[in-house]
Amino acid sequence: MPEIILENITKMFGKTAAVDHLDLLIHSGDFITLLGPSGCGKTTTLRMIAGLETPTEGKITIGDRVVFSSEDGINIPPNKRDVGFLFQNYALWPHMTVYQNIAFGLENLKWSKPDIESRVAELLALLKIEPFSKRYPSELSGGQQQRVAIARTLAPNPKVLFLDEPLSNLDAKLRLEMRTELKRLHLSTKATFVYVTHDQLEAMTLSTKVCLMKNGIMQQYAPPLEVYSQPANLFAADFVGNPAMNFIDAKAACRPDGSVGLKADSFSGVFMPDEKFKLDCSDVVIGIRPEFIGIHDEFQPGLQGLDATVYSNMPSGMETTVKLKVGETILTSVIFRGVDYPVDKKVGISFLGDDILLFDKESGLKLVSGSLKTE
Amino acid sequence: MLFGNKVVVFFSKPANVILVVFFVLLCMLTLYPLLTLVSETFTVHAGRESIATGQKRGTLSLYSFKKLLFTLDDGGEQGYKSSTSWIQFYSPLFNTLSVSLLSSFLAILFGGVVAWLVTRTNIRFKKFISAVFVFPYIMPSWTLAMFWSNFFKNVNVGPGTSNGIMAAVFGIMMPEWFVYGFFPISMVLGLHYAPFAYILIGGILRNMDANLEEAASILKTPRWRIVSRITLPIVMPAMLSTLLLVFASTMSAYAVPVFLGSPVRYYVLSTKMMSLMSTYKGQGYIIASVMIIFGVVILAINQSFTGKRKSFTTVTGKSSQISLVNLKKANWPIALILMIVLVLLAILPLVSFALESVIIKAGDYSLSNMTLDFWIGRNLDYLDQGDANGILFSPKVLKALGNSLLLGISCAVIAGTCGVLVGYGIVKRRGTWLSGAVNNLSFFPYLLPSLAFGAIYLAMSGKLPFINGMFALILIGSVKYLPFASRSGINAMLQLSNEIEEAAVIVNVPWWKRMTRIIFPIQKSSFLSGYLLPFVSCMRELSLFTLLVPTSDTLLTTMLMQYSEKGWDQFGNAINLLIIIVVLIINFAVNKLTGASIDKGIGA
Repeated sequence: MPEIILENITKMFGKTAAVDHLDLLIHSGDFITLLGPSGCGKTTTLRMIAGLETPTEGKITIGDRVVFSSEDGINIPPNKRDVGFLFQNYALWPHMTVYQNIAFGLENLKWSKPDIESRVAELLALLKIEPFSKRYPSELSGGQQQRVAIARTLAPNPKVLFLDEPLSNLDAKLRLEMRTELKRLHLSTKATFVYVTHDQLEAMTLSTKVCLMKNGIMQQYAPPLEVYSQPANLFAADFVGNPAMNFIDAKAACRPDGSVGLKADSFSGVFMPDEKFKLDCSDVVIGIRPEFIGIHDEFQPGLQGLDATVYSNMPSGMETTVKLKVGETILTSVIFRGVDYPVDKKVGISFLGDDILLFDKESGLKLVSGSLKTE
Repeated sequence: MLFGNKVVVFFSKPANVILVVFFVLLCMLTLYPLLTLVSETFTVHAGRESIATGQKRGTLSLYSFKKLLFTLDDGGEQGYKSSTSWIQFYSPLFNTLSVSLLSSFLAILFGGVVAWLVTRTNIRFKKFISAVFVFPYIMPSWTLAMFWSNFFKNVNVGPGTSNGIMAAVFGIMMPEWFVYGFFPISMVLGLHYAPFAYILIGGILRNMDANLEEAASILKTPRWRIVSRITLPIVMPAMLSTLLLVFASTMSAYAVPVFLGSPVRYYVLSTKMMSLMSTYKGQGYIIASVMIIFGVVILAINQSFTGKRKSFTTVTGKSSQISLVNLKKANWPIALILMIVLVLLAILPLVSFALESVIIKAGDYSLSNMTLDFWIGRNLDYLDQGDANGILFSPKVLKALGNSLLLGISCAVIAGTCGVLVGYGIVKRRGTWLSGAVNNLSFFPYLLPSLAFGAIYLAMSGKLPFINGMFALILIGSVKYLPFASRSGINAMLQLSNEIEEAAVIVNVPWWKRMTRIIFPIQKSSFLSGYLLPFVSCMRELSLFTLLVPTSDTLLTTMLMQYSEKGWDQFGNAINLLIIIVVLIINFAVNKLTGASIDKGIGA
């Protein structure tokens, strides 16, 4: 089973670097998401691995075969790389029926006619599109076209599958449905999936590992839950998670017992790091996930943590997002039940758990995680 | 009452008013003339027809049909080959079809290959190639023909009056088939319309989603199979309609066959019709009708390609990310060959016209034999070519230039503005019967061969005497070039979402203000391309106007034709160069000022 290795891959468009010295190791059977805002180089990266785009420099290995190397002048064309590619706009051939679209790749492989027929039938059944085999793409809905595109890509049993924002043209309900099916497909095909998306929720729910990118530079490469709870820097912390993480600027000072005294605009507190670390800056950013801000309904001034007022309240049934005002700072909290707080209600809040994060304000890098108590 | 209300509601929408007005106008300007033409074919005309039939002019008769189509044996020595019908009709028909076939094939092949190279590969000098490649299309169509005969003519072939550059400088005598007749006419027409094919096919390729080819490539499709199974089938309907448009254009070409065919009595329908117009008008009108029937058939075939199950609208994906085909080592040679061909095709003719316009004695290209008198001379009797002044000081030439500019600008303004309105009406009411009818009617003049169209208006001017002089020219020019303008109008409107206008409707902005302050400014460059094309076409057009001009001195092109026929080469070449320079300058200026360009007009 192939393993994909990118070494020092750079792609220049004119003078701007779309991808900047990227190193990436993808294990076989992984479901990797390339995640980032638009223009961060994720699609370019995918197209370079597939061979549709030529890197400016670097080396790409798929399995035990070097498919690109700027040093050795190797550049194997896409049709010889043994990969599958699912395009964002599906790229179904308008002049071929659904059947012909799916069979085309198998014909190229010189499969026998009965083999092709049975394979196409199998895929039509797998993706539940049997009734449409004689139709042309323009006669299908978006979701059906999407399934045909997946069937066409899966037909030759590729061991590596590239997917370029395949769900972005679907409506919300279909997207959820297809997400489930993609995850099942990954398990049943046992292929390596490399998936491009700008939707952090897709990345979180689908992948075994997320590669977060910004401006052509990799920010973090880790399993989704790790990216969520231990983001490498402020960008990663902000990009992943909805509603977004709370960031509070503070001055930090070490104390003899290993804890850190924090002084923010609207409160001060003491931070107990999970592990030993060296603090060599005084300007830090405290990062708190919304679910780690607890709200106490019974209000007694000064009793539980911080005093806050409800700024706005957005119950969605299963959960409630509450915007809270502490001094001049607005914080977001999520509680997992439906409550309808009246606006301007006074509440007490406290910071829960030991996944509160400290970032170096200047470099943006994560320093440590721990627990935070107000004082 | 209910019906009355419906009518009021219908006409309260500007788009409906526009469509109804244009429906009536276009019927009057295209369908009525057609009927006139048909009735003329059954009419006895004054002169020889009247003498031959012994009937008064104006009487109905089948004489012209019998004479032209069914006189296959009139006792000549060579059987049907010497019969009137064969000489006057069937042989020119055969010639027309073979010339059109070969030349449109050439145009598609050459234009298509260049379009593919420019849009899909990393070939060098792209900017230069795409800028210069449209030159032959901007030039009057017969300039290349003139260049061909200037270059290859020699004393052994055709009228054989003098040696061209090839014979004089290199001493090579080209055989007759190469200098006159079928081969050179097809070549020249093919080369002239290649840029047209290039613009159309380039537009198709640019709009085609590159992902479709990449998807095939990923599925291990060999390069040739991608081209044959994916690229070609997808662009095929558009290619076929390009082929038909080029076929329609080459079929109606008149000037090129005159230059390269008539010297050896090689006739096509258009040249035959022209010569019949001065002797047997009825037969001329029959030929015009036949050419129009071809046009209509082509339109019908073209229509049957569109609106099928397989929709070929291709969503443009990330076309900015098209990975261009790397030509590798072939890049330089291909680019170089293409550059040389372009120089031969687009630049060398201009040089040859400049040279021919300054030499005193034909065939002598030494400096002592050169003079600028044909350009700037004054009161020089020795020029001896109908004019004692160089063209830049000749009142006659300047008046013709003024007329040509007036005609071009008037047609551009009328056709361009109508194109915007028609585009607006058609797109706003898309899907309705009226919208479809106006759409077809506004495209119809494109398929009427220019010369036949001129013949129709000539026939009509006999009944409606107010159609004459400059008015007739402006009218016919505007109608003939409306298709260009309405195409770009429709394209421009299709790219505009409805909401843009609706946002203005909500705040009660009147219709004319929406048009002038919102819709036109947003799509300025597309709309203006719709003005530019009629202008360029009018400036270089000959066959459309040649039957209608009061005298041959009226327009630059008709004057040029007359000078060429009389053998006044220096003046002819100078005027030719003058036309090209005027068109290029105006094209360039409009392009720089507004961003409009010819290829935007028909491309897209």
